[in-house]
Amino acid sequence: MDLLSNLAMGFGVASSLANLAFCLIGVLLGTLIGVLPGIGATATIAMLLPITFQLEPVSSLIMLAGIYYGAQYGGSTTAILINMPGESSSAVTAIDGYQMARQGRAGTALAVAALGSFFAGSVATFLVAIFAPPLTAIALQFGAAEYFSLMVMGLVMSVALAHGSVLKALAMVVLGLLLGMVGTDVYTGAPRFTMGMTQFADGLNFVAVAVGVFGIAEILRNLEDEHDRQVMTKNITRLFPSREEFRQMIGPVLRGTGVGSVLGILPGGGAILAAFASYTVEKKLSKHPEEFGKGALAGVAGPESANNAGAQTSFIPLLTLGIPANPVMALMIGAMIIQGIVPGPNVVSEQPQLFWGIIASMWIGNLMLVVLNLPLIGLWVKLLTVPYFVLFPIIMAMCSIGVYSVNSNPYDLFAVAFFGLLGYVMSKLRCEPAPLLLGFVLGPLLEENLRRAMILSRGDPTTFVTRPISAGLLVLSLAILVLVFLPQIRKRRDEVFTESDA
Amino acid sequence: MITRRILLGTALALGLAGTAAAAFPDRSITLVIPFAAGGSTDVVGRIVAERMSKELGQQVVVQNVGGAGGSLGAQQVAKADPDGYTILMGTVATHALNPLILKQKPYDPVADFAPVSLLVLVPNVLAVHPDVPAQTVQELIDLAKKEPLAYASSGNGTPLHLSGELFKAMAGVQIDHIPYKGSGPALTDVLGNQVPIIFDNLPSASGHISSGKLRALGVTTAERAPSFPDVPAIAETLPGYETYSWNALFAPAGTPSDAIEALAAAAQATMADPAVAERMAEFSATIVASTPEELAQHVKAEMAKWEPVVQDANVSMD
Repeated sequence: MDLLSNLAMGFGVASSLANLAFCLIGVLLGTLIGVLPGIGATATIAMLLPITFQLEPVSSLIMLAGIYYGAQYGGSTTAILINMPGESSSAVTAIDGYQMARQGRAGTALAVAALGSFFAGSVATFLVAIFAPPLTAIALQFGAAEYFSLMVMGLVMSVALAHGSVLKALAMVVLGLLLGMVGTDVYTGAPRFTMGMTQFADGLNFVAVAVGVFGIAEILRNLEDEHDRQVMTKNITRLFPSREEFRQMIGPVLRGTGVGSVLGILPGGGAILAAFASYTVEKKLSKHPEEFGKGALAGVAGPESANNAGAQTSFIPLLTLGIPANPVMALMIGAMIIQGIVPGPNVVSEQPQLFWGIIASMWIGNLMLVVLNLPLIGLWVKLLTVPYFVLFPIIMAMCSIGVYSVNSNPYDLFAVAFFGLLGYVMSKLRCEPAPLLLGFVLGPLLEENLRRAMILSRGDPTTFVTRPISAGLLVLSLAILVLVFLPQIRKRRDEVFTESDA
Repeated sequence: MITRRILLGTALALGLAGTAAAAFPDRSITLVIPFAAGGSTDVVGRIVAERMSKELGQQVVVQNVGGAGGSLGAQQVAKADPDGYTILMGTVATHALNPLILKQKPYDPVADFAPVSLLVLVPNVLAVHPDVPAQTVQELIDLAKKEPLAYASSGNGTPLHLSGELFKAMAGVQIDHIPYKGSGPALTDVLGNQVPIIFDNLPSASGHISSGKLRALGVTTAERAPSFPDVPAIAETLPGYETYSWNALFAPAGTPSDAIEALAAAAQATMADPAVAERMAEFSATIVASTPEELAQHVKAEMAKWEPVVQDANVSMD
């Protein structure tokens, strides 16, 4: 009953005219910056922080939260339309979403993404409301050993992301891991692979790498054969999914929501895994795994739901513990401190209006987003008809501004150029960028937690198998590995047999 | 009230620097914060920037230039035009620790900067997970002598790491250091009792201390912190132990003295504002609002204090 009265209070706070307006401003801004390639929620929230000085704490946090999950919606739009993911999670959406767009199914892909996100967002919001405190307790069970095992599982999954050669996918993962090592070593403070440039002391910027290997590489590739593009706009038969496609997306959306909600709670990298994990699950469960990477609907619906569910549940550690799960959450903490609210476990009891108001606003914001985004699909698809000589310079300019705005570091722009070329070479060699990006994101976490776990266990490696959660995750990784490689080995044998037959 | 203070500040600047001071500032000022948005330096910087804009009659625009533990932002200001329109929110990291730790010095904290004003001192805190049996600093020292312990900090070479190293050296105990990428993840692991001990900034840990999720054993300042009068100072057990983080404004070396005076007067007026003072108190920060000369002395004293600690702890970076 407490929950109901709390939720009622929350909706009371969130549905005041002013807060509804701030929520709308937030999601609108979020959608816009999400659609602009390269400009992410982090930079936008950082720029808007001073404005929140003048607002009520609840209003400012509602607006900032709106920007965050609005950007999650908008980010998938560019991933689908121009293969330009702005965040790690939409990198997965780009794989099949962009292929759908190339087949003239851009509208369907966008609609599936929006509807899946809405469903996942609504469910995850209620999870936040009901389970925030107990879920936090589970998240705290995760120590260095558990995170290490979780990252191992993530890397094993990344191989399943590949739709071509497993060997090339592995090579890309390893390259990603190596790129992730650039920067200052957390334990010794030694700079690694920075070529003596302090500008790389904090490692390569994720947005720069992602924009380079996906976006810039795609632009270069498209400039080679422009006629290819006619297909994307000519074949558009309808903007919305058919009844059959609706039926197809139910399963992936449900599973994606589950996976995303659970992983989103973990501070420190859990949410990154959500979209990747969902993709792996869908590919494994699908009756047509060969469609993945070539425009599978489930490959968009699952990860999009997972990523949005994760975005909502990543508020749990923030609101119940005052601990940021990602850079955006760190900014939200800054916003709270500026407003004189001490983030921590006391927020729920001392500021119930704030806590429940934000939760209620997340649901309202999700509703606004789907209402906003569905009619916009037609407009976004029209973007595809803009000629390259207009579109590409705009994209390049927006990317550059966006990447620069993250850290005001010109070296990030050099990184974009370098990774754009690398991405182009990779596409010529038929190597996929998604596993590289996953390796890049997970590598530092893997290493950091491996070494931390080893220090804490005083050099005893059995810590990974004696801690139950860690052991469970490692067993699961092994199982996935077998599942992934078994068909490969079988296929190889079949190939051998067919060859000897011939 | 506010207008009087502006007048006062301007009058002070005029009096000290002659008529030329009336010209400064005639356009917006960039305050470089050498850390990512959302951290404690950023929060202090933004509160100060907002109020200083009113004092100076020109917008003070915050620019976050994070990276390399604050070195990138500091380096950028060191190389900026010395006209008073680009200033830095310096910290103990940018103006004492990094220059001592880094083998390749990207800038000289004394020669490359013109000090403006030491704004606040921020205490650090030694806290443990509630399951740790030690109730006092002395009990923790005794415990550390009996069994292996580890402490979390926000990173290698940070003020918190060195606060821990100074503690170990003065108490004569061995405690493993577990560095994290920032305070947030370090706190998470201590809240979950993955690591029993943490050295953290008091502002970032205060919510967890008052809720009982962490037990504060001691603050690192020489005196107890006004916001937590029940938490003893570590110095009560280890006489002479004192560390704290601080935030101070710096301009590039060679900035005209009238600009420095105007900035310092605005900074002092800002910190005297009761609303700002209240914010800083919530933040557990002690207001100093020093003169440029005092800040120059402070930087020298801090470098002298940390040099032996840095050498003993054997932290150095290329």
